[in-house]
Amino acid sequence: MSTRALEIVATWVLAILWVSPLVYAVWTAFHPSAYATHFSLLAPWTLANFAHAWEAAPFARYFLNTTLLVGVVLVAQFALCTPAAFAFARMTFRGRDTVFALVLLQLMVAPDVLLVANYRTMARLGVVDTIFSIALPYLGSAFGIFLLRQTFRQVPQELDDAARLEGSSLLGRLWRVYVPLARPTYLAYGLVAVSYHWNNFLWPLVITNSVTTRPLTVGLSVFASTDQGIDWSIITAATLMTSGPLLLAFLLFQRQFVASFMRAGIR
Amino acid sequence: MSIQHPLSPIQTGAAVRLVDIRRAWGSAVALGGVSFTVAAGTFCVLLGPSGCGKTTCLRIVAGLDQATGGRVEIGGRDVTALPPAERGVAMVFQSYALFPHLSVAENIVFGLKARSVPAAERGRRLERAVEILGISALLQRRPGQLSGGQQQRVALGRAIVAEAPVCLMDEPLSNLDAQLRADMRREILALQRRLGITMLYVTHDQTEAMGMADQVILLRGGRIEQDAAPADLYATPATRFAASFVGTPPMNLFSLPGETAVVGVRPEDMRLGDAGLPASVIHAEYLGADTILSCDLAGQTCLARLPGRVRLEAGTPVLLDFDRNTLHRFDADTGTRLS
Ligand SMILES: Nc1ncnc2c1ncn2[C@@H]1O[C@H](COP(=O)(O)OP(=O)(O)O)[C@@H](O)[C@H]1O
Ligand SMILES: [Mg+2]
Repeated sequence: MSTRALEIVATWVLAILWVSPLVYAVWTAFHPSAYATHFSLLAPWTLANFAHAWEAAPFARYFLNTTLLVGVVLVAQFALCTPAAFAFARMTFRGRDTVFALVLLQLMVAPDVLLVANYRTMARLGVVDTIFSIALPYLGSAFGIFLLRQTFRQVPQELDDAARLEGSSLLGRLWRVYVPLARPTYLAYGLVAVSYHWNNFLWPLVITNSVTTRPLTVGLSVFASTDQGIDWSIITAATLMTSGPLLLAFLLFQRQFVASFMRAGIR
Repeated sequence: MSIQHPLSPIQTGAAVRLVDIRRAWGSAVALGGVSFTVAAGTFCVLLGPSGCGKTTCLRIVAGLDQATGGRVEIGGRDVTALPPAERGVAMVFQSYALFPHLSVAENIVFGLKARSVPAAERGRRLERAVEILGISALLQRRPGQLSGGQQQRVALGRAIVAEAPVCLMDEPLSNLDAQLRADMRREILALQRRLGITMLYVTHDQTEAMGMADQVILLRGGRIEQDAAPADLYATPATRFAASFVGTPPMNLFSLPGETAVVGVRPEDMRLGDAGLPASVIHAEYLGADTILSCDLAGQTCLARLPGRVRLEAGTPVLLDFDRNTLHRFDADTGTRLS
């Protein structure tokens, strides 16, 4: 009984802690700056902060950059992880387990450790300050390979056999049997990848320095630190604006996402 | 939903021949030299206890598994090195292997699409299979929305549209309940007769084998124990194992004083008489048409299948009698039949 009560209290505390910055941001963004630290139920509502923020920095361009970045990363990750995962799951070749262990090892390397090394590589390739350079270190994903491999291994061997007997080639089987059966995993993984790269900050900050390449996160920080002083209303409006699409998508597809996560075995 | 009466065959089957097929995983031998021939258009059952190599044998015929030695011929052509899709075989898997993300119709024509059969021809074959199997109401459903028996039909449909001369089935009825199993048994047999295809059918259930087969190949530990028509397998089992595997209940095997061989008597050849072997009743199981009487015969359990209802208390002394010419004799050491 008491542990149950404790659980409920803890849940509420965590929920409030988590949501309070968001609530504050919503409050501040939708009211004139005079009310940023002054709460009153009679405070007038306004959209002016959003208009200011939108005009004060090239957010449209940042949106485009982020969308391109996330799109490139996602497509490349699916395209690269799928065949790799299939090979690890269903093909036998010498050294398979060793290579797979190396892939897993990569999971333990925090991306930030490689910041300097990656910068040097990009400089050598001559692609510093391009959207491609933000994406490049992430195009192959050990996590994606691992997750898809686990999913592919769960596809019954008899389905593969049936498709083979019916005349499907290797690629035909991958495309018509394995990929469709792994859809929940693609959805769940895609979601994790999109939110990670939408929110990624440090690497894009290091590798970009112009409006045409900066993603939203970097654009927002540049905007918040230099241009505006500390006008919280405009900063929170900009923040809501940049995280809005992702937040909205989460809320709309919450149920499908949770179901996908369950089926993909990520919790 | 039942298959129409056998018409003249629409397709023709192809003979299947295995020559000294061997398969081992490391030192574990699954098949130790298996050779047999299945005549075109006949129904052949691979029978044997679990783990004897039936599935391995079937997969080697299909090309899904590669033999470590030996040769497979289909329709007189050596197919040992051919990939599964080019061997002219269709297969029904134990789990049915239906694609869960495709509708019934898409499942059935999956292979035709993969082989780029024109859409009109696909439609024609699908229509025919659907008519034969009576599954027109199910076409738009997903496999997950079907009962076991319906899934079975869809799997059969996929095998039918392939119009392959040889059909392979791996324990296709093992996931169905008893009533449905009996129905499907008749349907599959009628289907094979109607299509005129060669059937290679795997089961561990000897009643299935006896009821369906033109030819039974009894396997044990990766070797052929006997290759015969069901009637011959029943009447003259080649080995002790064959004798004990076939028949419900199986043959009694016991030793008699003054006999070096193991003797066998089918329970239905046993009767209670005024003379014979003295035994005592252990249990009487009444089955309706007959009664299975288990008796203790000098420390060995012996079954007798007696017509009608027989009421005997446990412990009752009886005399078990049989005709001398119903006696089977097997070598005590090698287990082979002595004639
Ligand atoms: N992929 C495999 N790897 C190792 N051993 C196997 C494999 N497949 C089958 N076997 C072995 O081969 C023998 C025959 O198996 P199987 O053909 O499946 O028997 P059945 O179908 O008659 O039950 C068994 O002892 C089994 O353990
Ligand atoms: Mg088997």
